[in-house]
Amino acid sequence: MNEFIWMSPPFGQGEPVQVEAKPEVLIPLMVAGYSQCEPPASREEVKEDVHG
Amino acid sequence: MSTARLQEVLICFGKQKQTDILTANTDAEMWRFGKLNAALANPRLNTENDAEEFGKGHEFPTQSFQTSWDVSGTLEKYLGAEIAAWAMAFGLGKVVKSGAAPNFTYTCTPLMPANGDPAELPYFSFVEQIRPGAGVVLDRMAVGCVIESWTITIGSGPGRTNSRIAIEFAGSGKFTEPSGIVMPAATLEKLLPSASLALSIDGVDYVSNKNIVSLETGWKNNVRMDAGFYPGSGFQTAGDATSGAIRGRLEFGNRQGTLRFTARFESGSTELTKLKNQSTGTAVISLAYDANNSLEITWHKVSFATAEVGETDGIVTVAVECLPMFDATNGIVSAVAKCGVDSICQ
Repeated sequence: MNEFIWMSPPFGQGEPVQVEAKPEVLIPLMVAGYSQCEPPASREEVKEDVHG
Repeated sequence: MSTARLQEVLICFGKQKQTDILTANTDAEMWRFGKLNAALANPRLNTENDAEEFGKGHEFPTQSFQTSWDVSGTLEKYLGAEIAAWAMAFGLGKVVKSGAAPNFTYTCTPLMPANGDPAELPYFSFVEQIRPGAGVVLDRMAVGCVIESWTITIGSGPGRTNSRIAIEFAGSGKFTEPSGIVMPAATLEKLLPSASLALSIDGVDYVSNKNIVSLETGWKNNVRMDAGFYPGSGFQTAGDATSGAIRGRLEFGNRQGTLRFTARFESGSTELTKLKNQSTGTAVISLAYDANNSLEITWHKVSFATAEVGETDGIVTVAVECLPMFDATNGIVSAVAKCGVDSICQ
């Protein structure tokens, strides 16, 4: 199963985004200033589509 | 009195980062390794005197003053998955942790202040002990250290020495003696041997064509040591202006990446052509112990700065120095380090 993590935008501007924890996804975001963060407390966990 | 021999020296350091430059790692945040080099991380006190001051009637010093402290050291080790993850995380500075035991993945990139990242590197504490306790010979902890550089060398041959890492570090100058740290059990290391190398540079797979002879890659932060002393940066003993100043920050300077390699040169080898064309491509260096313990370093855009044909043990080879460049999307370098240890640089 794919793993997802939360990243906060640079300069603390904007909402955290949930992304797949793969180097090809993470590295461009890290270079662009995104940093790993805790999941937002008020947000429900995002799950993959559970409908058949 | 029993002579202390250097084989007795034990070292441990912060697996996790300090909360700030002056707050030392705790016991639980430390991990212990062996090392190959004998050099110790000696705190050095810098002093001044009043020889050049007028009003004494002569040119000789009459007083000396403790002015500042330096701490620096080098760790030389056979390359293992754990120390590789630590060096990449603390040395490059930006880390995303994912995965779970036994496969934690640390994706590491250099900090980018232009995009909101700090210019200060993550800090760790470094402990050296020889017979700590009642018969102590040495027991001290340097607080607020950062990685100045790391260099990985891969060579040809059967032994562990063909896959090594050298890590230079520098400290704020603050140290604690005795350290107050209980040395943890030695970390079980998963070596990343030379024989596991996978190497692709600008479209050439140097392992499948059996041409790679040796390789060296590294990163240097060029830490601005003097800039750590700013008005108010603090003293070795808080509030005691006679105890010598310490640094209140350690920021990287103009950082440099290096990649050089030697490969067999034969008909169809492309190194000289690429040098003339100044073509660019990625360089991917991978080493593995198993699926859960590995290191992959990617230089996202390199050209060849020099390529000289010579010989190695009577075989015609080409020594290439690459120029790592900044790629607009992926930056200059990234490292994906996997190991079974949680919380590195967290």
